[in-house]
Amino acid sequence: MSDREIEEMKKLAKEALPALRDAELGRDLWPAMVERLSTQRSGMPWWDWVLLAGASAGILFVPGVIPALLYHL
Amino acid sequence: MYKHPYLRAYLAGIAIPTAFLLAIMTAYTIDRYVYDMPVPIERVIVFPMAAVPNAWGLWNLIFVAFLQKRHIPLGLFGGALPLLLVPGGYLVARLLNFTIPPVAFQVVPIGLPIALIVYYLVWKYFVGFLNAELGIA
Repeated sequence: MSDREIEEMKKLAKEALPALRDAELGRDLWPAMVERLSTQRSGMPWWDWVLLAGASAGILFVPGVIPALLYHL
Repeated sequence: MYKHPYLRAYLAGIAIPTAFLLAIMTAYTIDRYVYDMPVPIERVIVFPMAAVPNAWGLWNLIFVAFLQKRHIPLGLFGGALPLLLVPGGYLVARLLNFTIPPVAFQVVPIGLPIALIVYYLVWKYFVGFLNAELGIA
């Protein structure tokens, strides 16, 4: 491809792709990102805590289940 | 990082029971040879040593291959695994002529729900964590 063809190609590309207007962001996105990251660390939901407490109580009051659990885990 | 997702799913699945096996074997060895527990568990130890970890690996592989795209919760799917393992363990014990202590049958109504809960929590949080770390979640 000659230099003239390359220049012609650049000109056609510039005509086909208009220049961006208002390319800068309207606001800072980082605070929203930080807020989203912090809300994702909510941990276990309450029903999982209830299940964990129930299973722990079951094992505590009926320790005979421990060998069976170990056999199947 | 995106190669061999099923191999990573299998490895993530077997990691938890394989690590836990160390605790089981330690407890078993102490009970059997230090306190002379009269139950010959070595006849059925193949089940928790070989069958259970492989079942976990295959279960996680099935989840990643078929069910994850359908948004089925990992905890619920993993929590269902005892429904296969409990009959499987019983079958292995019967095939190997292992005399199951009568107390084992008495604790089934309590032990099975506990096993389902434990499996649900372990799969949801531990296996889920490993799947995320290995890029297959």
